[in-house]
Amino acid sequence: MPMTNILSSFRGKKAGRAFILPAVIILLLLTIFPFLFSLFLSFGKVSFLGGLQIHFAGLKNWLRLFNDERFYNALSNTVLIAVIAVAIEYVLGLGLVLLLNRGVKGSTFFRVLFFLPMMLTPIAVGYMWRMMFNPTRGPINHVLPLLGLPAVGWLTEPKIVLYSIILTDIWQWTPFMILILFAGLQSIPPALLEAAKVDGASGWRLFKEIIFPLLIPASIAAILLRTIEVLKIVDKIYILTGGGPGIYSESMTLFGYNLGLRAFDLAYGATIAFSLFATILVVSIIFLLMTRRSQEISLE
Amino acid sequence: MKAVRNERFMKVTTYLLLIAWAVFVVFPLYWMLTTSFKSKLDVFLGPKYIPWVDFKPIVQWWIRIFTVEREEVIRPLVNSIIVASISSLLAVLLGTMAAYGLTRFKFKFGPLRNHDILVWIVSQRMMPPIVIVLALFLMFKVVNLLDTRLGMTLIYTAFNLPIAVWMMRNFLSQIPISIEEAAMVDGASRSQIFFRVVLPLTLPSLAATFLLCFIFAWNEFLFALILTFDKASTMPILIASQHFQRGPQWWDISVMSTVAIAPVVIIALSLQRYFVKGLIPISK
Repeated sequence: MPMTNILSSFRGKKAGRAFILPAVIILLLLTIFPFLFSLFLSFGKVSFLGGLQIHFAGLKNWLRLFNDERFYNALSNTVLIAVIAVAIEYVLGLGLVLLLNRGVKGSTFFRVLFFLPMMLTPIAVGYMWRMMFNPTRGPINHVLPLLGLPAVGWLTEPKIVLYSIILTDIWQWTPFMILILFAGLQSIPPALLEAAKVDGASGWRLFKEIIFPLLIPASIAAILLRTIEVLKIVDKIYILTGGGPGIYSESMTLFGYNLGLRAFDLAYGATIAFSLFATILVVSIIFLLMTRRSQEISLE
Repeated sequence: MKAVRNERFMKVTTYLLLIAWAVFVVFPLYWMLTTSFKSKLDVFLGPKYIPWVDFKPIVQWWIRIFTVEREEVIRPLVNSIIVASISSLLAVLLGTMAAYGLTRFKFKFGPLRNHDILVWIVSQRMMPPIVIVLALFLMFKVVNLLDTRLGMTLIYTAFNLPIAVWMMRNFLSQIPISIEEAAMVDGASRSQIFFRVVLPLTLPSLAATFLLCFIFAWNEFLFALILTFDKASTMPILIASQHFQRGPQWWDISVMSTVAIAPVVIIALSLQRYFVKGLIPISK
């Protein structure tokens, strides 16, 4: 048993700790401490008169948050963007992965190209799409009338602006779904698919009965990770609309930044940030509970 | 006969759909790249699509960014390169050490075992940056790390550690342990084994993890927006500030964005094989 052997000979506790300690210290100092500090701030009031002072303010910030219409606006914007963007990205990602898997020539080329957008600097992506959406000089509004469709105020219409942001997110992040689902598809044993084909399964049935069930774990991972990320959305919105028109496209992170630093109310900013953290936690837990059940069903 | 025709129809549809998505992916990039070669008039009278056909490409803006605007651009560019490189190196070094510790030793901190420690580290990546950045603003203010490269390097190291630990743990757990045993029999110490045996064996994975961390640090916006003002500003901050300073000078913004995107595109193209490999464990 070489494994237990080496583990026992490696059990010298000090040496083991020396390996993980630096990482743990960095995380404690730069993530856990600020996290707790931020929680503490949400129950306080910060003032800079006569040096930095933090007073205890009880539930004041939290009561203000729950009575703040701007909070509900930012929360519903963020959740709406997350739900729609992730749903579309997943469907498109799955479809594209299946197309890539049909053994067409040049599929490596397509795959490399399809992965690309998610690596690009979000600020640059934001400008890229702001140019695309430009009402008079952008290509989209130039082409629409040629097709007999009306030009659209992509970034200025309150009812449309969120969908423009979603489109930008789809452009940048469908690649993530492609990546994870592609990896998931690679890990299906080819023998299994061959056997199913021999048994006469093809097309839709092959997908529904073999491929999709085997992709469920990858799908859950992809959807959960992407949902968590998109709930934090800020950089593309910052460039595309700055949260406007008005606050029609303000996300939670942008709201926290605007109130915490622009209006310089750090304690209230921390409260907003924490409510986002709570949202992400709740969404993740609900999602995991729901998918656990569906996974059990699919196993039966 | 019918089956053959059907097959051909499927094939053509597949290609058409793949090409349609490829066009959707490429067009905004193409638009940005061509805008960086358009004259002001061609931008304002736009949209102009094809160089030499409906507009005459010029290199004026590209020359300008390295001459007139050099002062403005060079510092954020250097900051981005330094901060992203050093923080990624640190994240990979510390992350690999932690991953090595977690795959080779048994830990017990109170109720926490190896798996709990791993989950704890990786789950840090889930935390919204806005939660910690407001507190970091105050902390950095107190210890004078606001608007410094050191401060940004530290925070990006912490930001990338979870990814580095996750990736390296997957790679390290594939290395047969017998190699290390052999070295141990030869009397090598633990740190010698780590630095002389394990690290050289994982060189390609180290490189892949480093580049992935580099991309994340290079692209990061919110920490830089809040924790830097001027001296330590990075490329995303420079580009984001363009609009507010001078109105939308699309040609300049396009040049700067292309400069910011270029290294990431090169890295991404050279790395794509590794991403699929490194991610297969997530999808299981």
